[in-house]
Amino acid sequence: MDPRPILERADLHNHSCLSPCGDLDNSPINIARIAAERGITVMALTDHNSARNCPAFAEACRRVGIAPLFGTETTTREEVHVLSLFGDLEAALSWGAWVYERLPAIPNDPERFGEQVVVDVEENVLGFEERHLITAIEASLEEIGAETFARGGLFIPAHIDRATTSVSSQLGFLPPGRYSALEVTRLPVEIDTRDNTLICDSDAHYLEDVARRSFTFPRDPGEPVFVALERALARGEVTMSIDRSPK
Amino acid sequence: MTVSQLAETLSLRIVQDQFEDRHVGGAYTSDLLSDVMANAAEADLLITIQSHANTVAVASLVGAAAILICNDRPVPEDMIAAAAREEIAILISSESQFTLSGRIYALLNGLHPTA
Repeated sequence: MDPRPILERADLHNHSCLSPCGDLDNSPINIARIAAERGITVMALTDHNSARNCPAFAEACRRVGIAPLFGTETTTREEVHVLSLFGDLEAALSWGAWVYERLPAIPNDPERFGEQVVVDVEENVLGFEERHLITAIEASLEEIGAETFARGGLFIPAHIDRATTSVSSQLGFLPPGRYSALEVTRLPVEIDTRDNTLICDSDAHYLEDVARRSFTFPRDPGEPVFVALERALARGEVTMSIDRSPK
Repeated sequence: MTVSQLAETLSLRIVQDQFEDRHVGGAYTSDLLSDVMANAAEADLLITIQSHANTVAVASLVGAAAILICNDRPVPEDMIAAAAREEIAILISSESQFTLSGRIYALLNGLHPTA
């Protein structure tokens, strides 16, 4: 018997109401439900420098039948945004603590930047993150990559073609090194991507943007999603769907 | 004026001393490395708070005379090692980009004593 692989559709970059720039309607249950309606089968929650809404996201994905990944969109010392993703909730929370230890203790100003709301799966407010989550942490791109891999995660520079907070805008090039993949928002990409696999994600801060970009990858029946994803990224076995132009 | 003369005149500390003592032709102040790549000129002193190894890569690419780190930002070991390989000096000061740019502008253009 040669069972045919299942085609998974992934969106690995999403913000919840914990991100100050994220809409308050972006509760974990809302983004998971809408992603499921739009055909996403594998979804990651990646708030800025915090994994505190990942427990609610885990339960939300269980309810709607999505395979969850957990992590952060971390701001490096160079002010480059990078994704660190984990298949396991506990690993992601431990990762979030590592990031938080390196986050400057600058209080958030909700009037200027927006609220940073920690919620449960029923959208009950559990608390507010006090530190401003957008600032650069005290670790370089290279250090964050090494730490992510040491913890068994996936390390993906975010929106590398964007005019702000990307390797293109902050550095002007992709530093040599190990990456699981590179996230793009459109093609072609102007910088040298050094033979890395390219993916695209929604980077949704509003419900309307959930799943606006995604990619597919094959998974063998019975195979864990994280294992199949890691292999597909390593081999470049992904197909991108850039449904709408980015803002 | 060379890098070491400039450092001595303005009392800048040299934290990476294995360097070629290059002529300082001018200076460029920026904290966005893609901007440095696009606009810095060869032999410029790079004035920045971007204290990490990738700054050395960009400085080397544009042929910068040296890197000056402002606000006493800590210089990581991998940055010092990279600069030693490229023989680029790393200078550091407690002053801001604004103040250092002003002092260096005056010095390089002979406007008035600044030390």
